[in-house]
Amino acid sequence: MAIKKQKSHLPLRLNLLFFAIFLLFSLLILQLGVVQILYGQDAQEEIDRTENVTSQTPVPRGRFFDRNGEMLVDNNATFAITYTPRKNVQPDDNLELAETLVNYIDIDPESVTQRNIEDYWIMQNTEEAASRLTDEELTGNDQEQYYSMLEHISEDDLNSITDEELEVIAVKRELDQAYELTPHIIKRDEISQEEYAIIAENLTRLPGINVTTDWERVDTQDGTFSNFIGRITSAEEGLPRQRLDYFLSRNYSRNDRVGRSGLEEQYENYLSGHKEVRRHETDSSGRVINSELIRQGERGKDLVLSVDIQLQKQLDQIVQEELENAINAYPQRNQHMDDAMAVMMDPNTGEILAMSGQTYNREDGEFIDNSNRVLSHAFMPGSTVKGATILAGIDSGVISPGEVINDRPINIAGTAEKSSYRNLGNVNDIEALKLSSNVYMFLTALRMGGEFDYQEGENVNVGASGYYDMVNYFKQFGFGVETGVDFPSESTGFRGSVEGREDIGGIMMDLAIGQHETYTTLQLAQYASTIANGGYRMEPRIVKQIHDPISAEGLGPVYEVREPKALNKIGMEDQYLDRVREGFRQAFQETNGTGYSEFDDAEYSPAGKTGTAQEYIYHDDGSRTDVENLSLVGYAPHDEPEVSFAIIVPKTGIVRDMNETQYSANLKIGRRALDAYFDLKEQRGEEAEELEEQEE
Amino acid sequence: MDYRKNEMKVDTFLVTVIFALIAISSFTLYTLIDHLPANIRGQNFHIRQGIWFTLGAIGIAMIMILDFDRYRKLAWPLYILGVGMLAGLFVLPWGFEANGATRWYLLPTNQTIQPSEFMKVFLAITLAHVIARHNEKWQTKNLTYDLVLLGKIVGLTLPPLVLIAIQPDVGSSLVILSIAAFLILVSGIRWRVILVIMAIAAGIATVITVLYLTFTAQVTTFIESTPFRHIIYRVQAWQDPHLYEDGSAMQVIKSMQSIGSGQLFGKGIGVYDVYIPERHTDMIFTAIAEQFGFIGSSVVIVLYFLMIYRIIQIALECKDPFGTYLCVGIVGMFAYQIFQNIGMSIQLLPLTGLPLPFLSYGGTSLLIYMAAIGLILNVHSRKRSFMFETEDN
Repeated sequence: MAIKKQKSHLPLRLNLLFFAIFLLFSLLILQLGVVQILYGQDAQEEIDRTENVTSQTPVPRGRFFDRNGEMLVDNNATFAITYTPRKNVQPDDNLELAETLVNYIDIDPESVTQRNIEDYWIMQNTEEAASRLTDEELTGNDQEQYYSMLEHISEDDLNSITDEELEVIAVKRELDQAYELTPHIIKRDEISQEEYAIIAENLTRLPGINVTTDWERVDTQDGTFSNFIGRITSAEEGLPRQRLDYFLSRNYSRNDRVGRSGLEEQYENYLSGHKEVRRHETDSSGRVINSELIRQGERGKDLVLSVDIQLQKQLDQIVQEELENAINAYPQRNQHMDDAMAVMMDPNTGEILAMSGQTYNREDGEFIDNSNRVLSHAFMPGSTVKGATILAGIDSGVISPGEVINDRPINIAGTAEKSSYRNLGNVNDIEALKLSSNVYMFLTALRMGGEFDYQEGENVNVGASGYYDMVNYFKQFGFGVETGVDFPSESTGFRGSVEGREDIGGIMMDLAIGQHETYTTLQLAQYASTIANGGYRMEPRIVKQIHDPISAEGLGPVYEVREPKALNKIGMEDQYLDRVREGFRQAFQETNGTGYSEFDDAEYSPAGKTGTAQEYIYHDDGSRTDVENLSLVGYAPHDEPEVSFAIIVPKTGIVRDMNETQYSANLKIGRRALDAYFDLKEQRGEEAEELEEQEE
Repeated sequence: MDYRKNEMKVDTFLVTVIFALIAISSFTLYTLIDHLPANIRGQNFHIRQGIWFTLGAIGIAMIMILDFDRYRKLAWPLYILGVGMLAGLFVLPWGFEANGATRWYLLPTNQTIQPSEFMKVFLAITLAHVIARHNEKWQTKNLTYDLVLLGKIVGLTLPPLVLIAIQPDVGSSLVILSIAAFLILVSGIRWRVILVIMAIAAGIATVITVLYLTFTAQVTTFIESTPFRHIIYRVQAWQDPHLYEDGSAMQVIKSMQSIGSGQLFGKGIGVYDVYIPERHTDMIFTAIAEQFGFIGSSVVIVLYFLMIYRIIQIALECKDPFGTYLCVGIVGMFAYQIFQNIGMSIQLLPLTGLPLPFLSYGGTSLLIYMAAIGLILNVHSRKRSFMFETEDN
């Protein structure tokens, strides 16, 4: 009975319990109805809104090698901490992440700006900042209100920021720079092994943070030729602003490091390689659901330059030493002298062997490598162009091969007397080159202009068509036009005009001796090569071959060979060219030749042409100093040229006193450069022989 | 008595419902084969679930051999075993830690068992026994009767509750609480006391809610400093999943997309647009809801409801109070787990890690639930003897 009595409460309570469960389960079905029927369509749409986004992971750039396979530029792997924001990241998210991250890494707060701190302060004290707004300010839109908030921030507020918070700000500043779904390097340099390990361990707490390797360019030749190799942008700089659209349309990311100058820029397409491309499927909240590798990354292609880095080093040194020697020999006279340029190339292929441009800093006695001036800076070349003048004269028929002209001062009414450096008497075309006769060139120019009957002290009658003829002949040698070198930019020099000019005769006479247009050292080298190789104007080449990347140390298979390219063949007959080549030979190899003093004992049969151009330096106070550009073009050996060169030493002082001598830096550089070339060749030949013997 | 035992009858209604649930489970696991994380994709969970179910059926048969009355005598040893296992997690070397919680023992077969699952049933048996015993002893009901009984229930519930909570395993703790609460309601404690308890519970809940809403930042910071920090994240994720990065927020978003997009009729067999990791265990309801829509998910809920309906009916028909209490304790376990699991996947409740009985894949939990059903069937099969008694009276 007792049992029965006690159980009496049970049915009621069980039924109540059952009813409660019934209600709860009904609630489940009700909510299911809401989720599946009422908002089912929305959920489906939300799923369908997933997007595909691709991300690209950078690969190391291609490396640089010299013509003998010596490495010039390599890549060094460095640890980097990256941040890849998901889509629609809010400032709060980055702040939160920064607060966590600051526990693991040190970032120098130096880059933090006052505005960064102010933004941070507002984030942390939003209500306080809002309460300071006046009623009037509150009427502004969100942006205006924000600016008002910034204005209300006091010194005390900023001082309340602790050093720790400053670090948070520094980290957040880095995070804020990242673009969604694109890895951004937060910290690259000086990451300690410890930092790296700690971050790697805590990746799950740090959404979007990753540890990767980044690549740093390493110049393995201590700056030699680096002026031409150029630079790449830093990750902070990213794409150069002026070429942003160009790169973005080629699938670059904004923080990609790209070539911004020199060969790095010129060969960007080859050097950059193929980034690893992944497609991320993201849902509407921006989360990545799925990642798929679309394309395997591939390191950039390696470039083999035509440059011989050993020769390059010697040329740099020669140019520096001779520049210094010239200045030290006549410090007073050569007080304006500060640079010298030299180009050496293979005349048959146009391959550049070495290019050097050195600037002497008088303040600290150091040299600055300004090598790319050989193609960016143009100078009056002086007599070096006379080979072109003779060929123009013979080809146009105004002078005949071997024609003798009496070299004596020329006087034209109303102009100053024009002469050679001394009166040379009767000279033929070859002697005119050997001795560097100005008068021979003047008369050639006048005849081309239509004046065959020059009379002393009278006017000359010269038409513009002769001028254009002459300019066109010059262009065949590359004067006044682009050399076509594989470099982002080159100067073509100053080209005069005879439009509306009365003194066309004078202009043509100046042009004939290299006193009118200005040319770059590279243009002169191209001219020398054209004469050396039998009349082919070769396009100068810095890059010889492009190789596919391989993982091993050396070079991969050849991807592309940049074949030598003749831009044009000069229109003159070979026999006329041979006369000019003979003139060049005699200038270097025969007594009284203008280059004989330096080249008399050279064993490699050099040929070439000296030049001295009158230049002026205009000072700030308006005064003017007369100076000379010393130039030299040439090649060797005379019969089968394998190396050609051009040298310009601007702004040397003029020798006024007949008892003084000039320090001919142009000839000195030329001689030593050719010596260096042939010594190196001999040395390598011996080494190769030794190697062969050893193998046998 | 002997001839009546031979009349032992299996409750076909309940067995049919359980069969239906198992069939749905195996089928759903089969459709999920290609939609699981890569590292576990090759495993045939539907077959394994079938094997576990068979083992569970054998277990039921074994449970049926003994008269359920005999399990009363086992109540204390089972309780001590359960609490011992829970305590052992913290001292024994076989405790297995995953995701920052120590909930499992690692068996030499490389399988894990979760003692808290055992504890649920052990607690139901023990509490049922203690309440029945209390009512047998105390003839008159007064405040002392109420308080002593309440004290016993609370005293027995607290040790496992605390041991599970500090693992930490909030989900299982709430199941333990639910079992105790259901039993308190039917234990015979008078309404006035129950109302006071409910008022106190409601008061505490209100205070916590108000505290949280008023001092969100401080409460959050405080809870974040305890091992229960994930609770706050899950509550936040539940409130607004799109605002939080925590993994559980993603789970809520995914789950809602999956279930919602199932719409009225579902997408059809094996069609899954939404990827949910570990979908074969706690989130299996989303698989049913996405494939079969509102209709399919309602069928599952109705099946569960029928199961609970039947267990409560058995509890009502049972003339032995121990049997009744046992049934109610088990209803407390099932009802809460079902409501919590489905509720969390439709954003009615915050996320907790609880399996959906009979549907979720999981060896130990399935065995335990089968055993619980075995006890119910046992209670049912023996009720007739009492009916004769009553009729005889």
